[in-house]
Order: sequence, then C-alpha cells, then structure tokens
Amino acid sequence: MFNQFGSTAETLSKASAAVLRIGTDAHLYDDPEDVNIAPLLDSKFESEKCEALKRLLALIAQGFDVSNFFPQVVKNVASQSSEVKKLVYLYLLHYAEKRPNEALLSINYFQKDLGDPNPLVRAWALRTMAGIRLHVIAPLALSAVGKCARDPAVYVRKCAANALPKLHDLRLEEHAPAIEELVGILLNDHSPGVVGAAAAAFTSICPNNFSLIGKNYKKLCQILPDVEEWGQILLIGTLLRYVVARHGLVRESLMLSLHGLESNGFYEKDGLVGDKKDGDKSDSFDANLVSLVSKCYIEGPDEYLSLSNGVDTVAASFDSKETTSVGDNEDVKILLQCTSPLLWSNNSAVVLAAAGVQWIMAPLEDVKKIVKPLLFLLRSSTASKYVVLCNILVFAKAVPSLFAPHFEDFFICSSDAYQVKAHKLEMLSLIATTSSISSILREFEDYIKDPDRRFAADTVAAIGLCAKRLPEIPTACLNGLLALVRQESFAGDLELVDGEAGVLVQAVMSIQTIIERDPLSHEKVIVQLFRCLDSVKVAAARATIIWMVGVYCSLGHIIPRMLTTITKYLAWSFKSEASETKLQILNTAAKVLISAEVEDFQMLKKIVLYVLELGECDLNYDVRDRTRFLKKMLSYKLACHEPTEDSVASQENIAEHVVEYVFGRKLKPFSPLNLHNRFYLPGSLSQIVLHAAPGYEPLPKPCSFVVEEHDQLSDSGRQREAMSGLNGSQESSETVDEDGSSEYDSESYNGSDFSSDGDERNDANDAADPLIQFSDIAVSTDQEELRSKRALDLWLDEESSTSNQTPSALDRNQSSYAKISIGDIGSRVKPKSYTLLDPGNGNGVKIDYTFLSEVSTVSPLHVCVEVLFQNSSTEPIVEVSLEDEEAMNVSDSAEQTLVGKANASYNNVPTLIPMEELSCLEPGQSAKRLIQVRFHHHLLPMRLSLHYNGKKVPVKLRPDLGYLVKPFSITIEEFLSTESRLPGMFEYTRRCTFTDHIKDTRMENGKDKFLTICESITLKVLSNSNLHLVSVDLPVASTLEDATGLRLRFSSKILSSEIPLLITITVQGKCTEDLNLTVKINCEETVFGLNLLNRIANFMVETSSSAI
Amino acid sequence: MNCLSVSTSMEGRRSNLPIRSEKREREREREREQYRSSMLQCIFLLSDSGEVMLEKQLTGHRVDRSICAWFWDQADSFKSLPVIASPTHYLFQIVRDGITFLACTQVEMPPLMAIEFLCRVADVLSDYLGGLNEDLVKDNFIIVYELLDEMIDNGFPLTTEPNILREMIAPPNLVSKMLSVVTGNASNVSDTLPSGAGSCVPWRPTDPKYSSNEVYVDLVEEMDAIVNRDGELVKCEIYGEVQMSSQLTGFPDLTLSFANPSVLEDMRFHPCVRFRPWESHQVLSFVPPDGQFKLMSYRVKKLKNTPLYVKPQITSDSGTCRVSVLVGIRSDPGKTIESITLSFQLPHCVSSADLSSNHGTVTILSNKTCTWTIGRIPSDKTPCLSGTLALETGLERLHVYPTFKVGFKIMGIALSGLRIEKLDLKTIPPRLYKGFRAQTRAGEFDVRL
Repeated sequence: MFNQFGSTAETLSKASAAVLRIGTDAHLYDDPEDVNIAPLLDSKFESEKCEALKRLLALIAQGFDVSNFFPQVVKNVASQSSEVKKLVYLYLLHYAEKRPNEALLSINYFQKDLGDPNPLVRAWALRTMAGIRLHVIAPLALSAVGKCARDPAVYVRKCAANALPKLHDLRLEEHAPAIEELVGILLNDHSPGVVGAAAAAFTSICPNNFSLIGKNYKKLCQILPDVEEWGQILLIGTLLRYVVARHGLVRESLMLSLHGLESNGFYEKDGLVGDKKDGDKSDSFDANLVSLVSKCYIEGPDEYLSLSNGVDTVAASFDSKETTSVGDNEDVKILLQCTSPLLWSNNSAVVLAAAGVQWIMAPLEDVKKIVKPLLFLLRSSTASKYVVLCNILVFAKAVPSLFAPHFEDFFICSSDAYQVKAHKLEMLSLIATTSSISSILREFEDYIKDPDRRFAADTVAAIGLCAKRLPEIPTACLNGLLALVRQESFAGDLELVDGEAGVLVQAVMSIQTIIERDPLSHEKVIVQLFRCLDSVKVAAARATIIWMVGVYCSLGHIIPRMLTTITKYLAWSFKSEASETKLQILNTAAKVLISAEVEDFQMLKKIVLYVLELGECDLNYDVRDRTRFLKKMLSYKLACHEPTEDSVASQENIAEHVVEYVFGRKLKPFSPLNLHNRFYLPGSLSQIVLHAAPGYEPLPKPCSFVVEEHDQLSDSGRQREAMSGLNGSQESSETVDEDGSSEYDSESYNGSDFSSDGDERNDANDAADPLIQFSDIAVSTDQEELRSKRALDLWLDEESSTSNQTPSALDRNQSSYAKISIGDIGSRVKPKSYTLLDPGNGNGVKIDYTFLSEVSTVSPLHVCVEVLFQNSSTEPIVEVSLEDEEAMNVSDSAEQTLVGKANASYNNVPTLIPMEELSCLEPGQSAKRLIQVRFHHHLLPMRLSLHYNGKKVPVKLRPDLGYLVKPFSITIEEFLSTESRLPGMFEYTRRCTFTDHIKDTRMENGKDKFLTICESITLKVLSNSNLHLVSVDLPVASTLEDATGLRLRFSSKILSSEIPLLITITVQGKCTEDLNLTVKINCEETVFGLNLLNRIANFMVETSSSAI
Repeated sequence: MNCLSVSTSMEGRRSNLPIRSEKREREREREREQYRSSMLQCIFLLSDSGEVMLEKQLTGHRVDRSICAWFWDQADSFKSLPVIASPTHYLFQIVRDGITFLACTQVEMPPLMAIEFLCRVADVLSDYLGGLNEDLVKDNFIIVYELLDEMIDNGFPLTTEPNILREMIAPPNLVSKMLSVVTGNASNVSDTLPSGAGSCVPWRPTDPKYSSNEVYVDLVEEMDAIVNRDGELVKCEIYGEVQMSSQLTGFPDLTLSFANPSVLEDMRFHPCVRFRPWESHQVLSFVPPDGQFKLMSYRVKKLKNTPLYVKPQITSDSGTCRVSVLVGIRSDPGKTIESITLSFQLPHCVSSADLSSNHGTVTILSNKTCTWTIGRIPSDKTPCLSGTLALETGLERLHVYPTFKVGFKIMGIALSGLRIEKLDLKTIPPRLYKGFRAQTRAGEFDVRL
C-alpha cells in the first residue's frame, strides 16, 4: 500500500511541473530509461509491464534499438490484459524480422489466440502472426488466414484479406496458388468491407489474374458504392483493368477518337462530333496528343522505348475487333454506371480514380462530367490540391476545351504553395481561349506585381505561352512585356532584389517567342529591344537580346542600318561582359559578318577582328576556344575585301558552306507539341513523379483476357482442390487411417531377392486385388541392431481406387501402394561431421565432431558427440581438453526461458560432460573422444573453450537439430494414429528437391530404381539425423519410371520433452530426374518441429559426396 | 505500292511482339521480386524542427529513419512537394500545424490515397489530442501508436472511421488522466470489437441508446473571393459544409432536403448518403454516424457581392510609401459581421513600417506579417489603416505589392442563400430535438493592392 502511495506522490510531483501533461505518457517519452526496464517486464503487475512496454516504445519512437529485450517481451504475449497485448504486438512487429528465432516462440500463443471467442483477439493474433514474416511459419500463417477467411466476424475476414499480401511478400512459390484462391474467396465475400480489403490484396498479389474478377464482375460492380473508400480506390482500378482486358477500349471514347474519326467516319455520320464540326478542331482537342495518351496508357515503358518513333502506329495498333461499344456491352455500361456516383465521394482519391475510368471508358460526350468534381477537389488540402492539379493538367493538355470554361477556378490565391501556383499558371496558359484571354491577362498583370518574384517570372513565361497559342493577342502582350523590360531595367539596382533578374530574363524570352512567329511584322519591337540593351544589366537577358541581334540581323529595313552601331557597341562592351554574354557576342559577330552588306563589310570586318582579338586573350577558356574556332572558320571571310568576293581555294568553299550552315541558317518554326512526353494512368504515382515507378502497370492489352467455358470449369475445380488442400490435413490423415486399418496377409520376403521382384509388382498392379505383404523378419528395440539387421520389408496394399477423398493431385495418379522397409543400410550410414576447429586457426590442431545416435546415459537432455582430434602440425600437442566456457554459474534469464518447461528438473545437470583429457597428441596422430552436451537452445551454438599446450581457444559447438531427437520405434498403425491426432496447426510441410539418387540409378541398372531411391533417401535422412524408419510405401505405378507416390515415414521423440515427432516424406517425379520431396512433420512442439523441418529440407537438397 | 510496304512492315512488327512481351514479362517479374507488394511501408511524424518524433513501421521491410534526415536537408522548394521521389523511396507528406506526416513507399500506389490517409490520420490525432503540436504528440505517443496500428495494416488503411476508433481506443480525457495519476493504471485499449467494425454501415455502432434524441444541422460556409488591383471582384464563391451532430437511438433513417438545391454547383457526400435519391430528387437520404460528422460539402459559384469592401491605396515616392486602407460594409447581410481581420505580408524591400489605425489594433511581426484586428465595424466611423513604409536604400518606389487577406465571421446566416427545408426521420423516436444553425466566415478572401 505504502509503496503505491509513494509512487503516486512521485508521479504527482513530476506532473505538477507541467500541469497540462498530467496523466499523459509525457515522462515516459522524455526519460524512457530513468528506470531499469528489464525487471519491470518480468513484474507480476500488468501495470508495471505496461509501463515497461511503453518505455520501450518510447525508445523505438526515438530511434533506439531495443531489440535486446525481445525474449522478455515475447513472454508477455500471453498476458490477459488487452493493453499489454497490444503493446507487445506493437513491439513484436517492429523487431520480428530482426529476431526470427525468438519470434518463433510466440507462435504457440498466436495459435491459441486464433481460437479465442473474441474476434478482436483473433484479428490481432492474425495480424501479428502474418506480420512476423518468417518463411518457416508461412504455412502456419497461411492456414490461419485460410481459417480466418471463413471467420464469422467481418473484421477478422478483413484482417485475413490484409494478411494475404504479407504472405505473398515472402515469395513462397508453392503457396502462390493457395493465396490466389483465398483472394478469390474473399473477393466473393458478401460484406463490402471484406471485398475492399480483398481488392487491395488482389492488386498487390495477382493484378492480372482476371479470371478471379470475371467470376464476380457484376457483383463487384454492384457492391462498389458500399465498399469502404480505400477499397473503392483499388477496386475501381481493378474493374477498369478487367474490362479493358476482357472487352477492349470503347469505340466512342476519347481514347479512340482519332482512330474513329479517321478510319470509318463514325462520328461524322452520327453527328456526334458536335462542336468539332465547326472547324475549330485544334482548339477543342489535340487529336495527336490524345492518341499518344491512349497509347501510353496501354503500353508499358519498355514498349514505349522500343517503338519510340511516332504516332503513326497508333491508329493501326487498335484493331476494330479489340474495341467495344457502350451501347451493346453490358459490362462497360455497368462499370460506367457504378463509378459515376463516386465522383461525389468525400475521398479525393476515389473521385480521381472514378474520373480516370470515365476518362478512359466513357463516350466522348460524357467525359465532361468529370470536370466539375475534379475542380471541386481543388478545394481540399494543399497536398491533394497539387496531385489533383498534376492530373488535371494531363487531361487539359489532351482536351483543353474541357476546362476552358472554368478558367476562373485556376486563378491564384495568395495562400497557394509555389508549386500549385506554377501548375495553375500552366493550366491557364493551356486553356486560354479568345474569349477568356482578356480576363486571364488581367490576372497575369496582377501576378507580375506579386512579391514572390519567382512566381512573377513564371507568369511572364506564361504570357509568352498564351501569346503563342492565340495569335490574335500578341500586340497587347508585347507592349506589356516591353514596358516590363523597360520598367525592370530602370527599377534601380537589380542585384538588390531577389529574383528580379528572373522576371527580366523571362520577359525577354517571352518577347522572343512571340517575335519568332512573325519576325517581320515585329521589327520595331526588335529595334526597341536593341535600344534597351544598354540599360539591361542581367547577363542572361543581355545574351538573349544579343543572340536576337545575330538572328535578325538581315531582317527588314531598319535593323541592317543599325547593325554597325550595335556591333560597335558590343565590341566596346565586350570586355566588361559576363562570359555567357561574351559567347553570344562572338556568335553574333560571326553571323553579322556573313550576312553583311557590301557597304558595311569593311567596317564590320574590323570590328569582328577586334572582338576576336579580345576574345583570344579572355580569361575564360570557353571564350578563348570559341574565338579560335571562329577565327579559323571565318578566316576566308576575314581575308577577302568584299563580302561576295569568291575566294580561290576550293577547300575554303567547304568552310564557307559550313559557316553558312551553322551561322547563316534562319530559324525553323518551332513545333509547339512535344511528342516525347510520357503519360501514365490518371491517379498513378508515376504520373506525378514522371517516371514509371516500380510496380506500375499500364492497362492490360485490349481483349487479352479471353474467357472460355472449360476454363471456368477448371477454375472452379481448382478452387475446390485448393479448398480441400487447405483443410487437407485432416482428410489426408483420414485416408491414411483407412490404409492402416485394412489388414493384409503377410508373407515373408527376403531382401536380396527384391530386385527380381518387378514382375510381381506388375502383377499386383494388373490384378489390383491380390495383396502381398512383405514384412520384417526381426524387429529389435536396440538401435544398432535394428539398423544392421533391418531386413527388407515390403508389402503391397491397395487403397480403394474409388476413394474420392484423396487430397492431393499427386496421390490421384496412383491407386495402389506397396510398403517396404529397408534393411542393411546401417553400415552405409555415415553421420556427417562438422568442423570445430580448423588447423589454420588452431596451430595445426584439427578438431571435427560428429553427433552420435546413442542416447546419453546422463540425462535425456544430453547429446553424445564424438570429437576427433587430429594433429597436422609437426610438433606434439599436449594436454588437450574441452570445457564449457560459461561454466555453470551463468544463468541468463533469456536462456532459461528458451530451454523450455520440461527440463526444470534437470536444471542442475552440467551443460557439458567433459571428456578425458588427451595427454599428448603426436604429429600426424589422431584420437577420438566422447563428450555429452546439453544445448540450451536447439538453434543457438554452445560456447566451449579448448585447452591445449596451456592455451585457451574459444570454439562454438553448433547443435544439429537432427540429433536433438532420438529414434522412437513404433509400428505403422501407431504412427498413423498418432499422426491423425496431430492435425492442423501441429502439421507443417515443406518442399524440396532431391538429386542424390540420380547417379545411383544410372550406375546400377540391374537394381530396382525405386529401391535405390528409397535407399538413397533413407541414407540421407539417417546420415543427418537420429530417426527411426517406420515404413516405406511404394507406388505401384503404371510406368516404372514414375516415382510419384513413394512415401517414407520416420519417427522420433524430442530429447528434452519426449514429445513424439513424426516425419513423412512423399516423393514426386521421375526416377531418373530430380525428385520433388514433400516433407511433413507432425509434432506438438511447433517451433522445434518447424526448425527440424527446415533442417531436413536443407540437408535433403545438399548433394552429398558420401552417398555410394 | 505504298499500301503494300506498310502492311509488310506491320507484319514484321507483329512477329516481333511476342518475343518482346515475353522479355517484358520476365523483367516485370524480376521487378516484382525486387520490390514489395505492400503499399505504405512506414510513417514518420516530424516536429517543426525536423526531429523524428515517432516512427511506425508498417511492414517487415523497415525504412531507416535516415530518410527523414535526407528529406529535411532538401531545398525548400523541393521539400514542400507533397510527392517526392527520393533515391530509395517515394515520400508523401502533409504538414499540419507544424507537424510533418511523412509516409514512404517503394511501389506504385495512388498518391492521393496516401495523402488522404495522412490527412485522415492528422484529423483523427488532432481530434483525439485536442489539437496538434509537438508536445501533444510526444505526451500521448502511446495513443498515437495504438491509433496508427488500428488505422493501417500492412500499409493498407484498416479502420479510419473516427466513431469506431473511439470505441477501440479511448481518447485521453480528464477523467482517464486523473485515473491514471491516482491508480497508475488505466487501459485505453478496448477489449471488445466495436459493433460497427463489422456491420455494413461501418460508420455506426449497431444499437446506440440515448434517453434524449438530438440531431443538429449546421451550415458552415466559407467565402472565397478575389478582388484584383483594379478593385474588381474577379471571383466570389462559397464553399460550404453541412455538419451534423446526431445522437439518435437505434437505426434511424434521415432525409434532409433543401429549399433551393439548384444553387449547389458541386458536392461531395459522406459515405452514408445514398446516391439514388440525390440523383432523382436532390434529397439527402442517409443513416447517420453517431456523433459529429460532415454530411456533405458543396460549392456555390459566381456570387455577385461580398459583405465587406476593402479599399487600399498606396503611393510611393523617393524611398517611402504612403498606405491607407479603408474597410466597410458593402452589402449588409442582416447580421453582425464579427472578428474582422486584415493581414498582409510586407514586401521584402520594405525596411520599416509605421502603421496606425483609427479603430482596432495593428501588429507587425518580425517576419513582416502585418495584422490589423478590427472586430466589428463601428457605426460612427469607417475603420482606416494608414501610415508609411520605408523602402530599403537604393529603391525609389515600390514595384511589388502585397495582397490583403480578409477574415470575418457572420453567425446565423449562410451567404450562399442555401436553405434547409426539412429534416425527416422515418421512425420518429420519443423526445426528439432538431436544431439548425448557419454561419459564414471568410475563406480565401484576397484583396490585391
């Protein structure tokens, strides 16, 4: 009690410091480490645990690594308090991938929670379990998801749908079909909430598996308005992709408008073109651009790169067969109907996705209904405003007329972010029409006076763009711009004001773009600009004007007359210019000289020579290089006295041509349309970042998805299969039970005769009924004896060929089995040896160790290990011994928890039963010693210290999971009944390939192939683990080549807990090729079983050199 | 001839296609291998000084928080983009009350989805914490973690409906705070699954019970207007929301109709609104969420008048400018216009300002933001702000002009003219109170000088 008050008082005093923070977790965030967290985690009070977890989360929030508390936190997963549980889950998910082994410890609790009556607990357990992301538990997680996908609670089913991408993310090829089937099941759910999450799973798992959508298409469309907003976003995209893949694009839609207009005159005939008939076609929409956009939507980035040349392929790329029409296609109609009300959604992303569907699929005259909802999105948060604007810009580029009447929506308000302002300006210059341009220009005038000069500069550039698009208005613009240039240049010292230079440069460039269209009529403007030259101080602006001098030097009447003066001025100012301007002066000098009139030639030549000489001594090497180059090029001009004078040498003529070509060329009209734009699907990330983001998929190829009747049939068949596969565990054990319960007559058989026995088996196959059992002669409990004396044991049995419950496809082929057991293999079993110390590290001492199959005499927890010492050095080695490094006194609480509960009574047993010391080891000599070891954890290595020659070397003895079990001899009937008691969560399978048998089967042609396979598998298993071979089922196949159906059963008990562990290996494949093995383990100890399963799968894959 | 050559070239192209598509498939496959199938991978909360206050990893593929440092070091114009392609991830960000919400992904996903989700997170947090600032987030970081965990699962939004979240995770209130101080123990995580989480109306608990049934409808409107430098009203429109607060027993079915729905230009609805009745007779038919919510938002465009006028004048000569601004009522809305404010940013080239007013107070902050708080317009005089601005040396006259942002509030009137006709309940519960209110305030009201 008192303690309680004390802590309260302390809390209060802390809290009084900041009254507002009373009762919050502020102190935890500020000083998460002011108490020792570890003891709190082990506290028996939930509140203290809770506080400790909060402190850990605070440390995570601040970026510290607190994964070292993992084992202690994991223990608390069993807590009954929902808050502790939630906090543990938060912690666990943060670190699960980092500490996989400890995360495995929590699996059993999740399994328990998955059966909890409270749906929230089930959902949490599922979410966390799926989030742990370990390959070993994937099968468990998958079956948990499969179970939860049929949960009565919607929330749990929703979480199951969300868990699917997590499993898919582990890239488990063998589970992919099962995951996809689950997606299909959840997509078919009757609750909209689940369908939304399933749509998200579909998008990330199998976006092109259209058969899943095809089955429920109409239902999905109808349920769409009720789906949660987030699911809607992805479901809309999925439905669109399905319709395109199934039916192709819509003939009346914008995407095919170009194609339609040109090839069959569809629109003209039906009068659907409407306003486009007025001849104002270019204004209403840009056909080239639209077809480019639609092409981009369909083809991926690599296709785009390979077919980069031109639009001409577009029209041909859409076959009329690949299109459809809204009028007669029910699917398209439904899609458009169910997405159009979503344009009113409260979620901007939904509106944009729905607009995307209308944009691509809706008939041309209906596309305009997306305009207002899109514009209304601009009145949302700043961030979404930007994204929406980026998308509207693409729509407007293709069809400016859509947005033209709404230009006022793009007027800029002072609170817009700079990017939004820039996009709005671009919009305005895109959609300006003759009727709206006056209001837009008036707005632009206001913007030029904005304090944000970068924005003002953009405005000036936008004015240039507008003037270029609408040829009627340039005069007004030009005067304004010229006034701006004059005002800017007189506005005093420009360097003082930020960004002012940018405005001036943009103004000059805008004037240049306007002049470019029709230079002759703007001659006076050019002259005015030249006159400003003296007052324009900004280098970039000056360079542009000087460039114009060169380009327009022979234009009209006034300019040529001024030319000498201007050139003189340029030569005079050359020294004080920036290098950017100097380069332009040099260019201009060359251009002027080439187009010089007779009367000015001498004068100009002198000026140019003067400029060139100045340039040669310039500090900037670019300028010097350019000068030398020009001097060389112009040498023929500079040498002659008259501009038209024909210089003598022919090779100089080439130079002349070059110079003419480079400097004398008139500007080509600039094409406003940049066809190298890339467009991505509306609403996509790629459209915003302007490159194809990983995972971006264009629309599927039109009509690439063809539905066939039998396809659907096989689909449903496959679904049924997968369903049975999911709860297959029970069924399979049932079938096996049937086998086991049938009693067969037995007949002794001798192993040595086995090879000649193929005929009989064939007989058995033909006759099906006669059942022969070849049974073991002598069964012994002693391990060694068993191994050596185990005789071949084979019996055939028949599995009723009518049994339909046979779960897997692999069993279906075979209707009959033979059971054998293999003897005489013990002598060939060579346990694998591991290196404890290699001679390089140990001064010539080589130590290997091998796990023995003998059961320890000390305690059931100990494993016998044979250690082989070899002296490969030249000196004798004395006093060699191995000892436990961390003696007995160290007892880490973490490790204690890892040992498990069963061993409590053995805690005082030493970890290592040491070996006799080797007094001396002569060079080249080797000696064997036996030690007995108790591993604290079945995965963690044990630290030992090796003493020799008075030195101490730390070494690590790694446990081999295969030897932490002991053989458990049971009959096949017992095996099967035990197996049937361990279904579901206690059963895990993995697949691997096996190749050892190949060389055997090739080598010994005489011997039966099946037997060889059995032997090599058994040998492999027994060489790597301490198991008991229970039985072998031989398939009685129609072909002798097909080993599918061969099944080996092994049994064992876990050393520490005496829990039985059953292993079944099923073979699939041809005798002479790589075999696919399915290894199944049934065991109550989930974690151990999973680890052993992995171990078996790993060593089965290794190719062994020792096998025969 | 021509035709022939075209067709042969087409043939050639066709025959190439399968090979290319095969290659593409393989490449895409590899791409999928490399990248993750989950959407958002991580959410960071950054304080206004760039400190990472919280990180919530959403998938097993952890995003190192060094990405935040990279983000914070970017140039301002790049950093303020809502969607940023960093060398390793795509970043989405929103800034709310000085707190940056940063989300990362590596794969294609709808960017608006991420942004909308972050906005929703910000809304929920500020609702829970009673505002948003660095201290509030840090003090309640556990709640933030718990909320984020419920709101998003494996990068995909899970439960975002505020009413359900409230049932799952209790908001911090005074009672629970005091309880936690006294007992040191108060769980804010609910043991049971909210009934709404599974129903087909996810926004409503299945069977709430109230002794008095109340439903209130608020029209909250904002006026956006732009007055250009010539004093012309360029744009004037209303953005409005229908906000409701309902505490009704059982499963009520409501119908709300407007007297003049034709004025509505654009609208967006809460998911509870049924589309059909609106399409056919412009009637809102819905089963309301429990508690406060936004039923719809709308826009009314092309209004002719603003309630206030602002007449700024500026003359500049030889390094100083004279400013005078008059504010008055242009068209009387019939209710008092309250909390009138005028704020503007002095241009950079202004070195000092001396401004005074005959009504209200004028404050100039160090970042050159000037605010004139007027309050109500007095009956006897026209509020006027006047004074001089000194320009930096070297500048003769002002060439850039500020924009005035106008703020005001009018209670009891919806300036758009939208009127609610009636609110019907299909089954009328006992003791039902219905209430209607309206208010208008300034939204983006810009007057350019």
